[in-house]
Parts: sequence; structure tokens; C-alpha cells
Amino acid sequence: MSIIKTKNVKKWFGDFQALDGISMEIEEKEVVVICGPSGSGKSTFIRCINRLEQHQEGDIIVDGIELTNDLKNIDAIRSEVGMVFQSFNLFPHLTVMQNITLAPIWVRKKTRTDSEKKAMELLERVGIPEQAEKFPGQLSGGQQQRVAIARALAMEPKIMLFDEPTSALDPEMIKEVLDVMKELAQSGMTMIVVTHEMGFAQEVADRIIFFDEGKLVEQNNPHDFFNNPKSDRTKLFLSQIL
Amino acid sequence: MNFIQNKQLRWLKDNLFSSVGSAIISLITLYLLAGMYRGTVGFILSPMRKWTAVTYNMQLYMIFNYAEGDSWRAWASVGVALFLIGVTLGYWNSGEKSSFKSISTGLFKVFTTLTLLVLIAPRETEVMNNDGSRSMVEVISSSQRISFLIPVAVLALVSFVLTRLNIEMSFNRTKTIIFYLGFLVLSGWIIKVPTVTFDASGNRILPDVYLPVATTTTIPWTILYGVLWVSLFIGLFLQKKGLKPLKRIIPITWVILPLYLFSWLYKKPLIELNKVFTNDVPGVLIFWTIGFLIIRYITNEKFMQYRNYLTSGFLLATASILFLRIPFLFKVLTFSVVLLLLVAPAIANTAEGKRNLLLIWIVAIAVVAFLLRGSGSPTGILTPTGSFLGGFSLTWVLAIFGTYVSFPFGVMLALGRTSNLPLVRVICTGIIEIVRSVPYITWLFFASVMLTVFMPEGVEFNLIVRVLIVTAFFSGAYFAENIRGGLQSIPKGQYEAANAIGMNPFQRISLIVLPQALRAIIPTLVSSIITAFKDSSLVAIIGLFDTLRIGSAVIPTQSSPVNFVGTQLDNLLFIALFYWVFCFIFSRRTMKIEKKLGLGER
Repeated sequence: MSIIKTKNVKKWFGDFQALDGISMEIEEKEVVVICGPSGSGKSTFIRCINRLEQHQEGDIIVDGIELTNDLKNIDAIRSEVGMVFQSFNLFPHLTVMQNITLAPIWVRKKTRTDSEKKAMELLERVGIPEQAEKFPGQLSGGQQQRVAIARALAMEPKIMLFDEPTSALDPEMIKEVLDVMKELAQSGMTMIVVTHEMGFAQEVADRIIFFDEGKLVEQNNPHDFFNNPKSDRTKLFLSQIL
Repeated sequence: MNFIQNKQLRWLKDNLFSSVGSAIISLITLYLLAGMYRGTVGFILSPMRKWTAVTYNMQLYMIFNYAEGDSWRAWASVGVALFLIGVTLGYWNSGEKSSFKSISTGLFKVFTTLTLLVLIAPRETEVMNNDGSRSMVEVISSSQRISFLIPVAVLALVSFVLTRLNIEMSFNRTKTIIFYLGFLVLSGWIIKVPTVTFDASGNRILPDVYLPVATTTTIPWTILYGVLWVSLFIGLFLQKKGLKPLKRIIPITWVILPLYLFSWLYKKPLIELNKVFTNDVPGVLIFWTIGFLIIRYITNEKFMQYRNYLTSGFLLATASILFLRIPFLFKVLTFSVVLLLLVAPAIANTAEGKRNLLLIWIVAIAVVAFLLRGSGSPTGILTPTGSFLGGFSLTWVLAIFGTYVSFPFGVMLALGRTSNLPLVRVICTGIIEIVRSVPYITWLFFASVMLTVFMPEGVEFNLIVRVLIVTAFFSGAYFAENIRGGLQSIPKGQYEAANAIGMNPFQRISLIVLPQALRAIIPTLVSSIITAFKDSSLVAIIGLFDTLRIGSAVIPTQSSPVNFVGTQLDNLLFIALFYWVFCFIFSRRTMKIEKKLGLGER
């Protein structure tokens, strides 16, 4: 059974149509990479999945819950979907530990001790347990992004969304973040990743989806996607970035 | 010249005399500064000044015409506040240390500056004679100058020697500061001030004799100083014990304490017992029960459906009973129920949360009833002007409560103005724009003359309370715009991140947005608070006797028992110093806090 199902999703920003009838299904434990030129609607699409953007037409069903204006459904979906942003969006006034435990304590109503124990495990998983008491401003970009991943994982989500997680990083730091994401993919997490890291896509993705002008142009497994792209647009894109 | 510390010399060279041009500018500036200093000292020491007008009227300045027999209440208020300051300093003691070296360097700087100041102090100053001509009068004789110079020079030398010694010692920062305060208290016992005294037949003895400070001043201050030490050690002890709840209790006490001091300790309310039993006890019991039921059933599925109706119902009830003749307590408590209904779903969804919220509710209701009983009862302090507050105590009450009431109000207005709900936005914008575009003095007249007309019959507030109401609106509007600036400085990503981890709007605002927004605007908030503190002197216009009015209008018209007519300058200089000291301490403290809070940012 598919965990995310979208049907004919459309979205406009004013006159500009950002999404033009996206229909797709994502299976449990599947790792999907979305790529495409900038402005093609790939970020908008995954932001629609947890209602950071509101789609105007079509249906989005996440884990059996339909995304409507009902606040209860939105809250339910948000607590099952973790999100990692391009610009990290850590809370600068809280320590790394507080950043991670905030949601478990306030949203999931767990006790502080449990949340902190879990947070330490997550920090070890992303490889920076020694930074727990620091503030985000004292960390490097790569470390901040790994904290952001830990923060999203602390809610124990079923699905993780990555919105260009490495675009704001120095080349040297990209690897440390991608390693964490690889490990996460291997552990069986359902992931949707918007990225330009084609090496990562080739290695980890179960499926690659190509967006252009708000449309889903092509989807295929990595091998076929890179070696036999079907549409001309995809060929052009690949020839430019590879 | 390597005998003097080279570091300071290098600083001088780098910063003041780095080039010919800057050397000239530095010298001119220094000359001007010295001239201003000499002028000020000459003004202060001039025989035309009557500083006895200030020293003799200290009580008037502090508590105005507060009943003499009850003045222990004023001291006790200061004592309780100092006790809490001490406990707070002890409990939140960061363990910051001052090394022996830095202390002696500080002393060296202070004493060399003093030596220099004594050296360049003016010998004589210009005075105006009765016929309008001007002549010079000696203010500091050579022997006086030497008698000042020798001790400060010796102390400067001693502290210099101390800086050269290699003593590896350090002292707790807080303790050091309180230790220094001890000198201030000690000086009260040593220093002699010009005093107004009378001979046997009741004539004033002229010229003024110099006497030690009266024991009615020195003894209470010495006791208070002791209280500060004791409370500091209590705070340190509690810190060592690591009692966690204190972390919340102390800030809450800071909110409640001024209310208690104002409505009970300083006010001396005459409590009517029958009102306590017919009003307060039933009120508290009823609202305890309502709160208990809400907390018990709020998470119930069936009940949840009606939560919004219930909240709006209570909100409507609050609005409508505001103008009914029922005890004020009931109005406040009805509104508290609205607040409870808003926060309860977020907190009371575990058994532990329920228990805590119920405990908070029970304590809060009891405290509110207690405070309102005190502030609602007539005062037992009888004064000729009708208001038992005056002078420094009035200034302080207006400043503290002005900030207390207007700050949360400002936060609400700012949130309302940035809200998505059009009606709320329009109302908040309207309040802000209307309040800001009318001068404060006009609002004060509004408070003194018109507010009673606007109030329905039977609702009557004391003038000071009315002033506080308009102040809440006025500075609230300014706070709101400052805070809105802070809210807008929060990047959109912060909202998105909070949404993405599933926070509800209430959590998003209180945990993510407001803490950052307020942090970002601390400097503007501080200047708003300082402005509010100084603006409190405007209440003189509507007949209240604040510090400034006492100094500018009351004392300069005193003719008996002592003639102080025409001492405006002396009093105004004293008041300027008084305001400056408080504003300066306040801004220094907040600069420290700012530094501490800024740590996580960048």
C-alpha cells in the first residue's frame, strides 16, 4: 500500500501555476529523489505534502489521512512527516539539545528525561553527540543540518522530506550530511529528497522523478533515468548537470 | 617611563594621540571637559546653594506625607524587595569571579581619577551679589584641597602597589559588589552633612552645622544591608541544594511582590471581614470548582466540540459584566477562565499536566483574590493630600506598574496586529493608532477628568489606578510597535520549522517567535522602559505629587519651619542625579543581560 498518494495536484501563486496536475504514489520505505530545474515546482510539491503550502486542486493522502483544511488532519500529518529545510531553520535561541527535545516534550507530551535520552541517541546517530549543549550559531553548516535531521527524527516520523538539504552547504560539508541521509535510507525510512546531488540519487534512490514547469515529466529507476532518459527535456537537463 | 604600566600609555597613544590632528582634538576635548567639571563643582560648592533643602526634606522626597508612625511600612517594603533581590542574586549566581588583579586595577583607576579631579577642582567660583554684581568666592581652600588630596593620593599609591603584587586571589563577583555597597552604608555613619538645627527658642542656627546622618536613616539602612547579605547566602544555599521549582517560583514572585507591597504592606488596607466572607471566599470557591471541572473534562472528546462556544461564551460574559455593579474580583476571575480555556488543551492532556495546571489555578485564584482584597479596601494611611503615595514611592509605583501592565498589553496588541483574523487586526491597529496619535499629557487629563465620566455608574477607580490604565494603553501602544518590529525580524523559516514539527499556533508564538522577537528588541525595550520611568513625572500636571513636583514646586515654596524659598536649582540637580542613577544602573544591568542572551545568536 502506498503511503503517499497525490492525485492531480494543482497550485497557483497568483497567475503563475507552480504545480500542474501532479499524480504519483510513494510506497513505504521507498526513497524518491525529485530533481529538475529551479522554478519547476519540486520544492512547492513537497511543501504541499505537509501543508507548508496549500494546494488548490487535487487530493493529497498521507498514510490514509486526506490533507484538507481540517486542522486536526494537518496536525496528524505533520507529526508523521519530518522535514529538513535548505536553510536548516534551527531555533537560534535554544541549544542543540533543546532544539531536538522541544517537539517531543510539547507536541508528543513526553517527559524531559525520555526526550533527552532519545535526543542523545539521535545526536550519536548523526555523529555529533559532543555538540549537545552548544547553540546552533556555534556550529558549522553541516553540523547544523545534521541537528535539523535529528530534530525531525525526534518526532519519530514515518516519512522524511528533504528540501534541498545540501544546497546551502560548503562542498566539504555536503558529504557528512549525505552520509547521514544514506544511513537513514538504509534503515528503511520513507524519504522524498529534492536535491541536485546526482551521485546521491544514483546511489541511494529507488526512483528518480523529474519535474519541469510544474509537471511531472518523467520517473524511472536511477539506472534507466541516467542512461536512457525518455523525454528530450530530461536529456537536456542531464546533459547540463552531469 | 616603563615604571607606569605600558599598556595604558599605549592605549593613550593609539586612541588619543595617534596623529597631530587627533592630538589637537583630544586636547581641546579634554580642556572642555575639565572646564565643565570645574564649572559643575563650583556650582555645587557655591555658597549660594542650599543643600539643606535636599537633606532636610529627604523624607518628603521618599514617601511624601506618609504617616510618620507607619513609616516602618516603607522600610519594610524596601526590605522585602532587597530580600528578594538577594535571594535572586544568590540563586542565579553565575559564579563569576573577579581576580584580585582586576579589582586592584579598578581601584587604581578610581583613585587616580579622584586625585586628578581633586587637583583640577576650582579654587573659587563666581557668585551674584545682592546688587547684581558678580564676584569670586573661594570654595576650596588650599588646606581643604590638601586634606582631600593626601588620602586619595595615598589610596591611589596603595592600589598601584597592589596591582604590582602577584597575588593569585579571586572573589565572587556578586559578593564583591555587595561588599562595595557596604562602603556606602558605612559612609552614612561617618560622613557629616549640613543639617538644619534649631536653638532652644526655636530659631534656626546659622550657618548650618555639620552633623552625622540621623540614626533614623543609618540604622534601617544598616539592617537592610544585613538583610541583603543574609538573603544572598540563602540564595547561594538554595542554589547549592539545586531546588528546581525555585527557577519558576522566583520570577513569579518578582511579578507578585510589587503588587503585594503596593496593595498590602505599603497601603495598610482596612479589611472589612464581612466582605471577605460574602465576596472573596465564595468567589474563590466557585471559580476553583469551575477551573477544576474545565481541567478535568477539557480533553474529553465530547467536551472538546463545545470548547470554542464555551470560550466565546466566557469572553462575552467578561465583556458584559465589565459594566455591571458586581465585585471586581468576579470580573477578573471570569476573564481568567477564558485564559484557562485557551491554555488548558495544550497543557492538560496528561495526568501530570492536569495536576500541575490545577495546582497553578488554585494558587493563582487565591493570590488574585488576596491582592484584590488589599487593593480594593480603603487605606489606613491618612494624609492631607488624599493620596498615600507621593515622592519616590509614587514614581516607583508608576514606573513599575506602568511597565508591568503595558508590556503584556503591548505584546497582545502586537500579536493582534500581525494576526490573520481581520477583525482582531483592525481593532488592534485602531487602538495603537488612536492611542499613539494623542499626547501623553492629554491622556493624563483624560484619566483625571474624563475617565470617571466614561465609566458606568458605580465603577470608580482611584486617580492613580486611572493613571495606570491610560499609561497601560499609552506605553502599551509603543511597546506593541517595538515588539511588532521584533516579530517581523523573525525569518519565515522559523514559522515553517515550528509548523513542520507539529506545533500549534500557541506553542509557536510562545516558544519560538516571542522569545526571539523580544531578544532582538531588548535595546529598544530598555529605552521604552526608561522613557516610561521618566515620563511618570508628568503626573504632576494632574495633581499628583511625584519626586519632580516635590523638588520643583513643593520644597521651593517651603517657608516654615525653615525657609527654602527659591531652591529650585539645588533640588532639580538632586532630582536629575536621582533619575540618572536609576536609569544608568538599569541600562548597565540590561546590557549585561543582553550580552548573556546574545550568546546563542550570531
